[in-house]
Amino acid sequence: MYLRCLRNLHSYRLLSAGLCLLAFSACQREKRELRPSPTRLVVFSDAARQSDIQPGGRQSQPVVANPSHGSAYEISEGARLYDWYNCSGCHAGGGGGMGPPLIKTDWIYGGEPANIFDTIVKGRPNGMPAWGNRIPEYQVWQLVSYVRSLNNLEPTSATPARTDTIQQDTAGLRPRPTGVASSGVTK
Amino acid sequence: MHIKTAPGIAFGALSLGWLLFAQIQNQPDDGQWVMPAKNFASTRFSTLTQINTSNVKDLKLAWTFSTGLTRGHESAPLIVNDTMYIVTPWPNLLYALDLKQPGGTLKWTYSPSPSASSQGVACCDVVNRGGAYYKGRIYYNTLDMHTVAVDANTGKEVWKATLGDINRGETLTMAPLIVKGKVLVGNSGGEMGVRGWLAGLDAENGKLLWRAYATGPDKDVLIGPNFKPFYKQDQGSELGTKTWQGDQWKTGGGTGWSWISYDPELDLIYYGTANPGPWNPDQRPGDNKWTSTLFARRPDTGEAIWAYQTNPHDVHDYDDVNENILLDLTINGRLRKVLAHPDRNARMYIMDRATGELISAEPFAFENTTESVDLKTGELKLNPSKITGSKTVRDICPAAPGGKDWQPSAFSPKTGWIYLPHNNLCMEFQGTQANYIAGTPYLGAKVRMYPGPGGHRGEFSAWDPVKAKTVWSVKEMFPAWSGTVVTAGDVVFYGTMEGWFKALDARTGTLLWQFKTGSGIISQPVTYKGPDGKQYVAVLSGVGGWAGATVAGGLNAKKDGTAALGFGNAMADLPDHTTKGGMLYVFALP
Amino acid sequence: MKRVLLLSSLAVAGRAQQTAMDPAGAPARSIAHLGLFFLALLTAIYIVVITFALLPLMRRHRGIDQEPLEGNHRPSDATETRMAKRIGLATVATILILFGLITVSVSTSKATSGSPPRPDSLVVEITATQWWWSVRYANNDASRIVMAANEMHIPVGRPVMIRGTSTDVIHSFWVPNLQGKRDLIPSRTNIDWIQADRPGRYRGQCAEFCGLQHAHMALWVVAEPPDRFEEWYSRQLQPAADPADPVRQRGQQVFMDYACVLCHTIQGTQAAGQVGPDLTHLASRLTIAAGTLPNNKGNLAGWITDPQSIKPGNHMATVPIRPEDMQPLLEYLESLQ
Repeated sequence: MYLRCLRNLHSYRLLSAGLCLLAFSACQREKRELRPSPTRLVVFSDAARQSDIQPGGRQSQPVVANPSHGSAYEISEGARLYDWYNCSGCHAGGGGGMGPPLIKTDWIYGGEPANIFDTIVKGRPNGMPAWGNRIPEYQVWQLVSYVRSLNNLEPTSATPARTDTIQQDTAGLRPRPTGVASSGVTK
Repeated sequence: MHIKTAPGIAFGALSLGWLLFAQIQNQPDDGQWVMPAKNFASTRFSTLTQINTSNVKDLKLAWTFSTGLTRGHESAPLIVNDTMYIVTPWPNLLYALDLKQPGGTLKWTYSPSPSASSQGVACCDVVNRGGAYYKGRIYYNTLDMHTVAVDANTGKEVWKATLGDINRGETLTMAPLIVKGKVLVGNSGGEMGVRGWLAGLDAENGKLLWRAYATGPDKDVLIGPNFKPFYKQDQGSELGTKTWQGDQWKTGGGTGWSWISYDPELDLIYYGTANPGPWNPDQRPGDNKWTSTLFARRPDTGEAIWAYQTNPHDVHDYDDVNENILLDLTINGRLRKVLAHPDRNARMYIMDRATGELISAEPFAFENTTESVDLKTGELKLNPSKITGSKTVRDICPAAPGGKDWQPSAFSPKTGWIYLPHNNLCMEFQGTQANYIAGTPYLGAKVRMYPGPGGHRGEFSAWDPVKAKTVWSVKEMFPAWSGTVVTAGDVVFYGTMEGWFKALDARTGTLLWQFKTGSGIISQPVTYKGPDGKQYVAVLSGVGGWAGATVAGGLNAKKDGTAALGFGNAMADLPDHTTKGGMLYVFALP
Repeated sequence: MKRVLLLSSLAVAGRAQQTAMDPAGAPARSIAHLGLFFLALLTAIYIVVITFALLPLMRRHRGIDQEPLEGNHRPSDATETRMAKRIGLATVATILILFGLITVSVSTSKATSGSPPRPDSLVVEITATQWWWSVRYANNDASRIVMAANEMHIPVGRPVMIRGTSTDVIHSFWVPNLQGKRDLIPSRTNIDWIQADRPGRYRGQCAEFCGLQHAHMALWVVAEPPDRFEEWYSRQLQPAADPADPVRQRGQQVFMDYACVLCHTIQGTQAAGQVGPDLTHLASRLTIAAGTLPNNKGNLAGWITDPQSIKPGNHMATVPIRPEDMQPLLEYLESLQ
C-alpha cells in the first residue's frame, strides 16, 4: 500500500487514489526546505539543452530536475522574488512589457525548467540581464517554478487560485471599449 | 462646420501669425525638412500649398520603402538636398534615399551597431524619434547611449560619442536638436531609476560641453546667479537635493527624453523633464525637484534661466517632456512671447517664455486628477481622491501616458490653432514596494489602463491657444499616437494606430482623405518639395512604442492587464486590428 | 540556545523592559491606570460576591431535625419579596457598573489613541514587513528625513505621532511600556501616539500573528534626552562614510558584488534596494534581525552565513559568500556607524 502511494505521488492527476494519496500529496505540497542544502547554493549549474536533438539517441535522464517543482512554498517564494528582483517591471504579471510575455505557448529560449534557469542566470542577448552570481541558485529555481506556474506547468495543487494584485473592477461607471467610428467631428 | 470666431481676432491672429512666424522661425521654408519639429519653434507647419483642402482627396501613393524592421517606428524622415534620411528603431540604422531617382533609390545605409542588450533597458519599445541635419551631417542617438554624426553625403561616421551606461538603465531615444553648433541630447529611463540630464555636445567633434542634471546640487543642475524662476516654490538654492529624502535624487528620474525648442531672439532653449522615480510616490517624499519641470536654458552653457515645476511630487507618472511650441500671440490685447505646452496632466500651459509666467493652463482632454492651477502662485491643486501611494486608487484620468504623451502637435499661423493628437485613457493604480536595482525597472506600481469617458481611446483636436479652448475634435478608437503636420494649404495630416493615414481640413476637422498603410502609424509625418517641384507627404508606418507594445512586443495583455506598465490593458485588442512591420509611404498628387 | 540569545539580548539592552505595568509615558500610564482601576474595582466586587456567597454557610441553620427544606417547602411571601428586591438591586448595580466600566474604558482609549494632543509632535512612519520594522522620520524638509530599521529613538517628553502601515499582511505595533496595540494594515495608514517621560529602552513586539517569524519581530524604542536624540538624529542624517582602509574597501565591493545590493540601501553608495532594512547605520543599532540577536560581529557573521537557522523562513537570502570575502564584508558593515 505504501509503495503504491509513493508511486502515485509521481502522477498528480490520479484523483482516485484515496485518502492516503491525498494526505501524501498535501504533505509534499507544503514541504518547506527553509535551509537550502549546500549543494543548492552553488550559483551556477550548467544545464539546459537548446535543441531537441541529442546525438546518439535520447538520454534517459533529464538534464536537471527542478528542485522546486510542485512545492507551494517555493512557488510563493518565487512570486515574492519576482516582484523583489523587479522581474515584474519588465515582464509585468506575465503579460510582458519591456521584456517578452511569460504567459505564452512559445518560448524564445526554451520553456524547460533548465532553460528558464539558464535564461535567468546567463541572461539572453536581446536584453535579458544576467543574474548569475547575484541571485543564489535556490532562489533562481523558485523563480523558475513561479514562471512555469504562470503557464500551468506546475501542479495546480501547488499554485494559488488567485493573485494578490488588483483585479479589474468592471462595475460602476467604468467605460468599456466600443467600436468608435473612425471619423466624427464633435464640437 | 466653420467655427464662429470673431472676425477681427481671426484676422489679427492670421496676419500677426504670419509676421511673427517668420520672425521667430528665422529659417525660410525652402520645402526641406531638416529637423523633426520642422523648425526651432517646433510648429511643424509647412508653407507648401500645392496640396490643399480642395485637391487632397486626389492624393496618391508615390512610392514606398521597407525598413526591414518590426519594432515601433516613431521617427520623422528628414529631407535635405534632395535626399531623404530615415532613422530606424534599434538597431538604429540610417538610410539615405535619393529623391532624384524615381522611387527614392537607396543611396547608402549607416549602421552604428548598438548593443543588443540595450533593448532590455528601453522602457517602452526600442524606438527612436529621428535625427537632425546640420551643416552637411546627420546627427542622431542610438539606443545604447551614443550620439553619432554621419556625413550626409557619404554615410561615413564622423564621430561617435558615448554619453552613459546602459547598466544604469539609461537609453537614448530622443531626436537631438542642434543649436548654434551644439548637439542637445537628453537621456531616457525614467522608469529605471535613472538620473535625468540634458547635454550639449560640440557638433564639430562630439565633445561634451555641458551636462545639466535634473536632480541634485545646483552645480549639477547648472543653476547659477542668473536663475530666476517666476514662482516662489521654484526659487531658492539646492532645491534639487533639499526636496528629496537622502540619496534618492541619484535615482530620481527627470530624464529629458523628448522635445527641445529654441528661441534665437531670447537665446533660450526650452524642454521639460520626465517623471520622478519610482512611480509609487510614498517612497520619495518631497517635491522631487527638478522632475516634471519646464526648463529654459542657455544653449551655449546649459545655464538654467528659469524653471517651473509643472507637477511637483508627481503622483501619476506625468512627465513634463511634451513639446513646447514657441508662439507670439496677442492675449488680452497684449502681444506675448509664449510657449504652448500640452502637458501629460491634460492641461495646455501657455506661458511667457521670457519669464516663465503662466498665462493660462486649461484642460484639453478629460481629466479628474487636478482641480486648478493658480496663475498667480503657479500652484497646481490636486484632487485629493486621486492621489496615489501604497494603496489602490481607481478611475484616475488621464492615465500614466497622460492627456497627451510624446506625440508632437503642430501649430498653423493661418488658423492660429494648435493641432493635438492625444489620448483618452484612465487607469487604476496599485502602489507596491519599489526596489531599486541598477539597470532594472524602478516602479512600485501595478497599473491597468482603460478607455476614458466615451469609450474611445484617442482624439485629434484643434485648440485655440488664445481662448484656451477646444475648437473641434475627432474621436479615434486607439490613442492618436502619431505626430502631426499642418500646411499652408489648410490640411492637417496624422496617422492612427490601426494604420490609417488621414488628412483633415484644418479649419473644420472634416476628413478629406485617408489611406490604409500596412501597420499602425506612430511616427511623425512630414511634407516636402521634391526635386521635381511637387509637394510630397511622407510618413513611416510600423506600430509599436508604449501604446503599440501589445503588437510590437507580442505581449499577452488579454491574460495580464498590467502588461506594458498597464497600457496593455487598454490595448489588448490592438493585435486584432494591425500587425507589425516598418514601411515608409510617400504620397503626392498625380 | 534561543533562550540564551534572548537573555543576552536583554542584557545588551541594559535597562530594557517590556511590560504594560510599568508605564513610561502618558498613554501607557492611562492604560495602566485603567487596568489598575479595573483590578481594584473588580477585586472589591469579587470580595463582596464571595462574601455574600459564603455568608449562608456561616449562618446557623435553625432546627436541623425539623422538617426538611426539600419538597413542598415554600418561603413566606415576605421573604420572596425581600429576595426579589435584593436580586433586582444587584442586577441594576451590575449593569450600572458594567456601563461605567465601558465608559471609562472607551474614554481612556479615546484619550490615548489617535493623533497626539500637541501639534509639535515628532512624526514617525512605521512600516511593518514580514518580519521587521521600517522606521521613517517624516519631515516637511524631505532632505531631513531619516530612515532606520527595527529601532527608533525618541526624545523624552515630546509626543511622537506614529503613522503605521504594512506592506504584506496585518501586523500590530505594540510597545507595552508606551502604548497599547495598534494594527498595521496594508494600504491603510493607522495613527497613534507614544510618549516617553523618562529615558530608557523599551521593547516592542508585533502583536498580531503575521507568519512564521511573528515571534521574532521585535522593535526597540530608545528614549533619550532631547539633546542626545538630536545628536543621534543628525548622525543618522549623514550618509555612510567611504571606507578608508583597504579591507573595508574590499568589504564594500563584496556588498556590491553579491546579492546584498539587490535588497538593501547604504546611503552614499550605489546600494539603494528597499525591500530589506536600510543598513546605512547598521553598526549603531542594538540588535540585528529585528531584535533577534544582539548586534555584534559574531552574530552578524552567523546571520549572513545562515539566516535560515536563526529565523527559519525569513526573507533574508542565504547568500553563498566565499570565506575570504566574509571578513572584509563584516569589517565594512561594522564600520557603518
